[in-house]
Amino acid sequence: MLSRIAESLFWLARYIERAEDTARILDVNYHMLLEQSQQSYRLRWEPLIIMAGEEKRFRELYGEVNGENVFEFLAFRQDNPSSIVQCISKARENARTIRDSISREMWEDINGLFYSTSNFNPHDEMAAGPHRFCDQIKFGTHRFHGVTDATLPHDEGWQFLRVGWSLERAEMTARLVDVQYQNLLDELPTTNAADNHQWMAVLRSVGAYEAYHRQYHSPIEPEKVAGMLILNSLHPRSIRFSAMEVQAGLRAVSGTGHFAYADEAERLAGEPVERLSYDKVEEIFERGLHEYLNEVLGLCGSIGDDIARIYFYYAVVA
Amino acid sequence: MVNRGLFAGYDTGDFYDEMFSEAGVPRPQYTQLYQRLAAMDPVHFEERRKLADLSFLIQGITFTVYSDGRGTERLFPFDLIPRILPHSEWERIDRGLSQRVVALNLFLQDVYGKQCIFQDRQISRSLIYSCPHFRREAIGVEVPRGIHTHICGIDLVRDSKSGEFYVLEDNVRTPSGISYVLENRLVMTRTLPDAFQACEVLPVNHYPAELSRILRSLSPRGEEDAQIALLTPGIYNSAYFEHSFLAQQMGIELVEGRDLIVDGGIVYMKTIHGLKRVDVIYRRVDDDFLDSLCFRPDSLLGVPGLMAAYRAGNVALANAVGNGVADDKAIYALVPTFIRYYLGEDPILRSVDTYICAKRTDLSYVLDHLPELVVKAVGESGGYGMLIGPTADSKKIEDFRTRIQANPRNYIAQPVIPLSRVPSYDPTTGTVAGRHVDLRPYCLYDGQKVTIVPGGLTRVALQRNSLVVNSSQGGGSKDTWVLRGES
Repeated sequence: MLSRIAESLFWLARYIERAEDTARILDVNYHMLLEQSQQSYRLRWEPLIIMAGEEKRFRELYGEVNGENVFEFLAFRQDNPSSIVQCISKARENARTIRDSISREMWEDINGLFYSTSNFNPHDEMAAGPHRFCDQIKFGTHRFHGVTDATLPHDEGWQFLRVGWSLERAEMTARLVDVQYQNLLDELPTTNAADNHQWMAVLRSVGAYEAYHRQYHSPIEPEKVAGMLILNSLHPRSIRFSAMEVQAGLRAVSGTGHFAYADEAERLAGEPVERLSYDKVEEIFERGLHEYLNEVLGLCGSIGDDIARIYFYYAVVA
Repeated sequence: MVNRGLFAGYDTGDFYDEMFSEAGVPRPQYTQLYQRLAAMDPVHFEERRKLADLSFLIQGITFTVYSDGRGTERLFPFDLIPRILPHSEWERIDRGLSQRVVALNLFLQDVYGKQCIFQDRQISRSLIYSCPHFRREAIGVEVPRGIHTHICGIDLVRDSKSGEFYVLEDNVRTPSGISYVLENRLVMTRTLPDAFQACEVLPVNHYPAELSRILRSLSPRGEEDAQIALLTPGIYNSAYFEHSFLAQQMGIELVEGRDLIVDGGIVYMKTIHGLKRVDVIYRRVDDDFLDSLCFRPDSLLGVPGLMAAYRAGNVALANAVGNGVADDKAIYALVPTFIRYYLGEDPILRSVDTYICAKRTDLSYVLDHLPELVVKAVGESGGYGMLIGPTADSKKIEDFRTRIQANPRNYIAQPVIPLSRVPSYDPTTGTVAGRHVDLRPYCLYDGQKVTIVPGGLTRVALQRNSLVVNSSQGGGSKDTWVLRGES
């Protein structure tokens, strides 16, 4: 497989995942806030901007942090590189440069998603509320996963897709947990009904609400939610699950077995997997959730850098 | 007889109409289709047309226009009414094209090899050496299996006066458009399946397999392990869709110049598991940009050192380097000479009378008759660098007069051919009107025989009264049907 193609597959997957995660978070946040008092409104939108890492750009473009502005910024702005329409557009650009290496169905699917996304009118959608748009993105990206699974041989290329979206998902979940918890714990130190709604929202935004109840049979508690999203080995959006996927994908590419690694990216990919299988949620909170998640994010960044260095860039001097 | 339905009020005009021999009377090959289309509610036709358009959009069969500074993607307009050729007529075209391709290949072998044609005083050395696309770097290269013209797209037009096909131009460098032939057919069979089935149309989809077979046969390391790649200038090239389409259909690697590297006279591609040798390159990059060490030093599209690997026989290129000398528009006039000289046969297909401005007598005729002639720059393609005398204003004519006088070798002139027309749908009015067409069949040559997929790309000038069919100039395309049996 050409290095350029592997790189495009990796980024194609990352952009798809980012679009989906952003849509999920926007949707859930919006609907949760419908039940909130006006005064807490602003506070609840701010974390979304922080999570996207686009505070500076947002401040340059808008005066006020409100639902409408945040929705427009995260969903539609062409000048926000992390907006959903930009992620879909970049995913499609990556797919276009390698359309001979992916299945025809995958290309038509992502291309169709691109056109349907660009046909949404931002003003209509904001008037209608974000649900319709976010749902379309969510279903669109799910369909893309399905089409990919069902039509692309599960060879090296498929593994780069797997590594791409798992790495992105691990980072997004880490950011979501970090930002939301910072905010919730700072603002409202005591557990009350309103708080519960927000933790519910966090669970819903990663599609883990039902799974939580099946596993814990208990009211929603911050430690358990964090435990679920960080340490659960079976939920496909937990950090641990995603880290295991990254490791498995890299091993499949290099052909390395268990208890070994072929390169620096694989060695590093082993670290979060090992850590997350031994750590307990109580210990994480004792040491500080924010620090812990920051370390995880740092590791994800290094893994991405090493993948690029090992597989994508050639140091051959012509 | 009176035209019905979609064809109500259809006027064949003063041109050869491919569908009707006279008003309301379809030619035999069109009878089946005409009955079905004429009986169809125009509303249903419009629905099917929209479906076809949507299908092209979703498949990303678009080209990019940069005029608005943002790069928007446009559809290459597809007209749903096919161009139909009877079997017997196609057979003759097939024989004529095969003859032409073999002669062009022999000519290229000769020019870059023994150069007998100069010694036998059939043509002058200076005419060849002054071609802008002559490549002295290709002299003496032993190309695999002696093939220079692996893929040719030869443009034909039907003259309205005689009803006969003429060769208008040879494209033996990197002709494009075959992907539209294959995609048009796919969309056509989905959109008008009943009409398609009733007509018994010859299939076209064996093209990628045949091309792949030929490319494989060129490998310097034997066919078993042959690593084949298609070299594209990249995503911003207007034919990028075709490049990726063909690579996918043939199951070969699509590469850009930056994916390749030459080391010790061997071409490699950069993979996630290290360097991998490449044996055959189907290049869709022009000679000029192929190797910055050999041709244009500013080119980033090619691979430095590629020509050295090619000359050493370590990598095969299709088409061969230097083919542009054979589709130079001044050389075009000599192809009948080549056919007689190399094959000892008479040309089966006619050529358009051509005045070569490099010849003094031709030049003075051309300058005296500019308003009646079509003038073309010899090295240009895609409808650029052209003067169409009868529709040009005096300023443009004088402009060309100056240019021709300054560099006569660069120009040829031909009489205007009134192109035949095919009924075409105009979505803005919802009616059908006659539009001018040409035909580009795609010929594959394996060194022994020429394979031509039946039909080819029918390009249509969708603008009223326009004779220019190039996609860059507002043209569209149609599916081309060659019928199975006699009709």
